[in-house]
Amino acid sequence: MSSHLRSLVDWLDDRTGVRSLLHEALYERVPGGARWRYVWGSTLVIAFVAQMITGTFLWMAYSPSTQTAWESVFYIQYEMPGGWLLRGLHHYMAHAMVVLLAIHFAQVVWDGAYRAPRELNFVIGVALMLVVFGLSLTGYLLPWDQKGYWATSVGTNLASQAPIVGPEVKKLAIGGVDYGHHTLTRFLALHAGVLPGLLIALLVPHIALFRRHGLHATEPLKGPDAMFWPDQLLKDSVAALGVLAAVLALTIYSGEAELTAPADPATPYNAARPEWYFLFLFQFLKWFPGELEVWGAFVIPGAVVTLLFLMPWIGRSRGGHLFNVGLLVVLLGGIILLTAQAIRDDYFATWYERTEANSDKYDASQAFLDAKQEAEHEAERVIALAQSPEKIPPTGALTLMAEDPFLQGPKLFTQHCAGCHTHEVDGRHKFDIEFDPKEFSRTAQNFGLNLVEIISPKPTAPNLWGVGDKLWMQSFMSPQLITDRNHFGYENSPFAQGEMVSFIQEAHGEELSEEERKAVDEAFASISIALWLDAGTTRLVHPDGLKELEEQATRGRELIAGGLAEVLESGMSCIDCHKYHDEGELGSAPDLTGYMSREWMIEFIRNPASERFYGEYNDRMPAFAPHDDPRMNQLDDKAIGLIVDWLRGDWVMPETVEAPLSD
Amino acid sequence: MKEAKTARTEIKTVSWNRRTFFEMLAAVVAGGVAIATPLVAGVVTFLSPLLKKNTSPKVRVALLSQIPDDGMPRSFPIVADHVDAWTKYPEQRIGSVYLVRNKGEAEPIALTAKCPHAGCFIGYKPGDDLFRCPCHTSAFKLDGSRERGDAEVAPRGMDRLPVELRSVASADDNEAVEVWIEFIDFQTGHKEAIRTA
Repeated sequence: MSSHLRSLVDWLDDRTGVRSLLHEALYERVPGGARWRYVWGSTLVIAFVAQMITGTFLWMAYSPSTQTAWESVFYIQYEMPGGWLLRGLHHYMAHAMVVLLAIHFAQVVWDGAYRAPRELNFVIGVALMLVVFGLSLTGYLLPWDQKGYWATSVGTNLASQAPIVGPEVKKLAIGGVDYGHHTLTRFLALHAGVLPGLLIALLVPHIALFRRHGLHATEPLKGPDAMFWPDQLLKDSVAALGVLAAVLALTIYSGEAELTAPADPATPYNAARPEWYFLFLFQFLKWFPGELEVWGAFVIPGAVVTLLFLMPWIGRSRGGHLFNVGLLVVLLGGIILLTAQAIRDDYFATWYERTEANSDKYDASQAFLDAKQEAEHEAERVIALAQSPEKIPPTGALTLMAEDPFLQGPKLFTQHCAGCHTHEVDGRHKFDIEFDPKEFSRTAQNFGLNLVEIISPKPTAPNLWGVGDKLWMQSFMSPQLITDRNHFGYENSPFAQGEMVSFIQEAHGEELSEEERKAVDEAFASISIALWLDAGTTRLVHPDGLKELEEQATRGRELIAGGLAEVLESGMSCIDCHKYHDEGELGSAPDLTGYMSREWMIEFIRNPASERFYGEYNDRMPAFAPHDDPRMNQLDDKAIGLIVDWLRGDWVMPETVEAPLSD
Repeated sequence: MKEAKTARTEIKTVSWNRRTFFEMLAAVVAGGVAIATPLVAGVVTFLSPLLKKNTSPKVRVALLSQIPDDGMPRSFPIVADHVDAWTKYPEQRIGSVYLVRNKGEAEPIALTAKCPHAGCFIGYKPGDDLFRCPCHTSAFKLDGSRERGDAEVAPRGMDRLPVELRSVASADDNEAVEVWIEFIDFQTGHKEAIRTA
């Protein structure tokens, strides 16, 4: 050391006593030498320091309100450079802390390290453990996603069942009568301020007392005494590095820390589960029916925690110590069993066949798995939307979901349309591209392909899959397809024997010469192209291809407007029944002007019995919004618009992709 | 170093008299007030949620024509204005309700989707003869009662909400019957249905 540095240290030591402090900190005697089994307490301290560091930086990017919590976490995770790593480290380090805590605790009890004079330090340790659980509970809610929201909702509802003060405790915890802004502000204050403060306030005496009493050496001693620095500290550091490596590996290989769809109080989340280390508590509650709940939620857990606090005094005798060790084994064993049981219940359907005897269990598990998949699907979509140039509106990501046809269409269709209509691919379209099932939904949404099937077992109306696209138009002009169950051939269809069917079948009559047939086919092909282009469901077509089609469509439009009469033997054309722009009249068949365009479909669903559509021929389809007064209508314009956009495949495509299908 | 430490920690006592007593009292009171005032202000604000009261809005849920008398539960969102601290959400979905109209009944019954056990969202699959809670596997019959009675984890059946039918006429002389319900929130975990305050 140079003399300058030495004099600087001397100066500092004179004013602070830093030398003796450092000496005291580093030259702790380790009886029997450094050992790996002494590292667990230190790894916990290092893990906590890591949480403070990652937590502080997460805090700098987090915004606690119902319109910004999910949104800011999304931004950390997907937009900020390194954000995924920061959040992943914080998330998985929290898991690691629970594991380390279990090891540290088990070791102390096993070794009887709580005996005099260390009783008080053991009590502080149990309190620290509760604080860590509190940190974990409060942290789970902060992303304000479906998972955290519904799990916390269950947790705080349980708290409200505590005797006497329960409802008040819940109100104070969530900051009001409903979950909202103040739930988040409070949970953040607890998670980032109060609980870490409490933890430090307990950790300082915990370590101070540990130093005062010295390390509880395990007999037999392996060798001569050593000093904490550098022998034990090296082992501690290596262990901490090992923990970090495990956490890093989890972050990288098990994927990023999960972010499910934004919390929505009105949308059920059937896969709500607490974090894995609380699953045992969740499972435990299934054992207490009805009002016995209070035993499962308060009395027994309360008694167990009290016993933990009393362990040092119970363990004063040899029998007492054995009791403590027995309690430890029973607790850990019970926790492992309950956790395994909870996982088995949830994943039952993936591991077992459904039988008569296990049907309830199987169905419950299947519902959980479906909900989990649905939630993943929704999360993927809303994240894709938030990443798209649309970004998140000021009203939050929930608006993004509520206004997305890709997510809302299937729900609305199931509720309002699927009683009669089916929506199934039914082998009708062949795709030029192969879909990877894992990437299924993502691919579909990117390409604007509506691949979601909602199958009605006994449809009494056309199959609405691909409504308004090219094949749809072609099918209604094909003598075979028009009468199949996807079009006019559904059960009890009044149109199966109707004028349109006989017109199409006669037009393709068997007596046509080859030349005439070719002309008829060409005419109908042009007409279907014209209708298709007017409907505007051409998003999958390459712009160059569209230009070529436009020529054919021009010819098609002339044919619809009367030209077809010259091609067909019957001398009839579309406008003899349909109206098309200025030609033809309304009253006997639907208007072909903008047939299956967005506007046309919305008006059709509003009132299919209007003169513009089926008029008196409409025998079954309800009018969903025939009135000007919205109170009289079953569906509002927004809902109808979402259904129509979904059917037509009109939704925000998150990535710019080359159109996979071109004609 | 050692000497300095001893000097500093040398215990001096004061002689008791009226003057020092008042000095001590004043010190404790002044210091106490200085610390207690901000603390009280904070605690009062912290406790303020206790003063908040739950409202049970009356909400139009559906048209009666949307609920045929086939005994099948149909799920409807509860849409009402919702105030969350400083934000007012107009027409926000604040919950969900199942409406069931049995054969020949004029009025449907309304069952809230919130599980009386721990508040999870009770599910229903069309065609099923039970409502099922996804969390702790409680099951309810279509009238809301518990499938296995007291053996069920839920302490009581699904909560019924008061239903009211209202006729409305529009300007164009059409009439429709609306289904209104009072959306009451009940405490979870008790045998009796107690409103959350």
